[in-house]
Amino acid sequence: MPRTTSGTRRLFRWIGNGLLLVMLVWTLVPFYWMIATSLKADREIYGFEATLVPHHPTLAAYVRLFQQTPFLKYVRNSTIIAVSTTAVSLVFGCLGAYALARLRFRGRRLIARGLVFTYLVPPSLLFIPLFAMMSALSLVDTHQGLILAYLGFTVPFCTWLLMGYFRSVPLELEEAALVDGCTRLGALIRVVLPMSLPALAVVAFFSFTQAWNEFLYANVFVNSVEVRTITTGLTLFIVEDVFFWGPMMGAAFLSALPPLVVYLVFQRWVVKGLTLGAVKG
Amino acid sequence: MTKTNVTRRQMLKTAAAASLATTGPWWLVRGSHAARAKKLVFWQLPNFTPLADQLQKEQVYEFAKSAGLKESEVEYATVANEGFAEKLAAALEAGNPPDVARLYESNVQFYAAQGHLLDVTDLVDKMRREPKGIFDSSLTAVRYNGRAYGVPLAVNPWPVHARIDLLEQHKLDYPKTWDEFIETCKKIQSPPRLFGFGMCLGLVEDTTDNVMNLLWCYGGKMVEADNKTVVMNSPENAAGVKVIEAMFRTHKIIPQGTIGWDNSGNNKAYQSRQAAFVMNPTSIYAYLNQSDPDLQKRTGLFPVPAGPKGTINLIDTWAFGAFKQNPYPELARGLISHFMQPANYDKIIQSTGGRWVPVYKRLFDSPFWKSKPEFKHFVSMAETGRPVSYAGSPTPAAGEVLNTHVIPKMIQRVLVDNWEPPRALEECHRRIEEVYARNLKL
Repeated sequence: MPRTTSGTRRLFRWIGNGLLLVMLVWTLVPFYWMIATSLKADREIYGFEATLVPHHPTLAAYVRLFQQTPFLKYVRNSTIIAVSTTAVSLVFGCLGAYALARLRFRGRRLIARGLVFTYLVPPSLLFIPLFAMMSALSLVDTHQGLILAYLGFTVPFCTWLLMGYFRSVPLELEEAALVDGCTRLGALIRVVLPMSLPALAVVAFFSFTQAWNEFLYANVFVNSVEVRTITTGLTLFIVEDVFFWGPMMGAAFLSALPPLVVYLVFQRWVVKGLTLGAVKG
Repeated sequence: MTKTNVTRRQMLKTAAAASLATTGPWWLVRGSHAARAKKLVFWQLPNFTPLADQLQKEQVYEFAKSAGLKESEVEYATVANEGFAEKLAAALEAGNPPDVARLYESNVQFYAAQGHLLDVTDLVDKMRREPKGIFDSSLTAVRYNGRAYGVPLAVNPWPVHARIDLLEQHKLDYPKTWDEFIETCKKIQSPPRLFGFGMCLGLVEDTTDNVMNLLWCYGGKMVEADNKTVVMNSPENAAGVKVIEAMFRTHKIIPQGTIGWDNSGNNKAYQSRQAAFVMNPTSIYAYLNQSDPDLQKRTGLFPVPAGPKGTINLIDTWAFGAFKQNPYPELARGLISHFMQPANYDKIIQSTGGRWVPVYKRLFDSPFWKSKPEFKHFVSMAETGRPVSYAGSPTPAAGEVLNTHVIPKMIQRVLVDNWEPPRALEECHRRIEEVYARNLKL
């Protein structure tokens, strides 16, 4: 008997929901595992049977995290570095992307392509020469040094993504603003940027998470607790071949929250921006 | 397609700009290095106890003060084990390494061979002149071409961590030979909850350590003392590999999952009470001290059981290295000297609660080392212990063999691919020969 249209739709909906459920579990289980582990005593973590729910929940790992380690300093440093990287990436990304999308000058295409190539160079190739430069400029072990290093990969991506988006903004709107007496910069700020909020949200989110999660540069360029970020702080819970799972999972869980909050705040624009960026890029 | 003419002048200008852009950073680095302000930079790998870390930090500042440095002229950095090599590589390339850092075993010879480390033979000689001197076994790792390029900080023994409560429960003594060990394991284990032997067999460094330690007891070794002649493919090694195979396959005292373990696998197995015996540095013991004192009470630390060639224990050595590129070598040497003053040194070693074994023999006279029966065998282990590269020394070639997991691959050929031990050893021998030959050419 032929299946009705509504029946087929219902089937697809069920399949879709099933897939979503699998993806949801796939995404949330690691978070749950981190929380559960951080609430277990060491004996339970290393017990024969893995327990899904902590049998004797304890906050000992968090007490250790906050009282015996400079975790809050790591959070502060990560925040300073990620927020600054995001802000500077947005400014440079917008200006660069606008210039490449709208202005006509020699080498424009080369620069645009160069951006992609710059982004493609892996940090594992760059960290030694970059460290040499940082060292020469006395930027090792400073927030500024790390921010500058991160801009090396956030600005090209932001510029590239925004460039595609800016091209989709009708030129006539800008021309009208210019006719009305706006400068180029004024047109960018008053016309182009307000229309590009989804793309700005995407690049802001991207820059923030990249800077927040980065490990290699943070490990190589930073020595002191005063500048150390969360990602490198987490590794101090591994001493030789012993893992201090409780505080490490607690710290990992807490450090996953800020990008989550940023995502939730910008969610509406991020989804729209990702879709549009994909089409127009 | 349009054709663009480039003049010679334009070409030269472009070439000059490109040269400047690419070499500029290196010239800047040279300048910055020469201009580095007087500063003492110490990289500290975390110790097992916060107290040990604190004491070490205090001693750094104490020395700096005595050397006339201000607090702002001291950089005390806690550096994680993870990513240490990358961090040091970048610092060395940039000409800005720490003055002093803690280095593991073959790393001393690795960096010494590259000319990065200061000759500290005089400091080591001074230590040797202390009453009773230091353990000679700790010097193997720091000597390169007859000179010392590191100061041995601590001996790191690899005892068998044993569940003495289970032995008592079954009215058994700690086994003296590997044959007894197998029988003991069979009696006390109750798989899958508890296996007899948590031997590391994954593609990791601990496997090389565990396997070689057992092979020595059967007369095997990797390389001769000349650091050139590889002797992996020998009947003695084949006999040892057969014992491991039997423990894994026939007696089933080693859990099957061990072939997928990482370096922490045996730690986890013991800490979770799923293995009655493991061979590991005392990091497990130190962990239990903080996190599971009940299990620590049930734990004994013993020498490995004997094979036909006796009982031979593995040790490795941690050392302080002072880097040549730093502009104030006297500060670096002074700091190491300060750390190694027996009174200062003893405080740190004792604060690790058994994690580190002192290199000064006379420190074992202290009541601390007599306070626990677990420490009883440390002196003999430190006296007679061998590095994993035995009969060779921990050269860069030995380090490469360890880091590229040549021996773990051999044991997996036997346990996973069902190769006969001689065939697996032959392949392993060939690979090790290649590594040693290549390193000899460098």
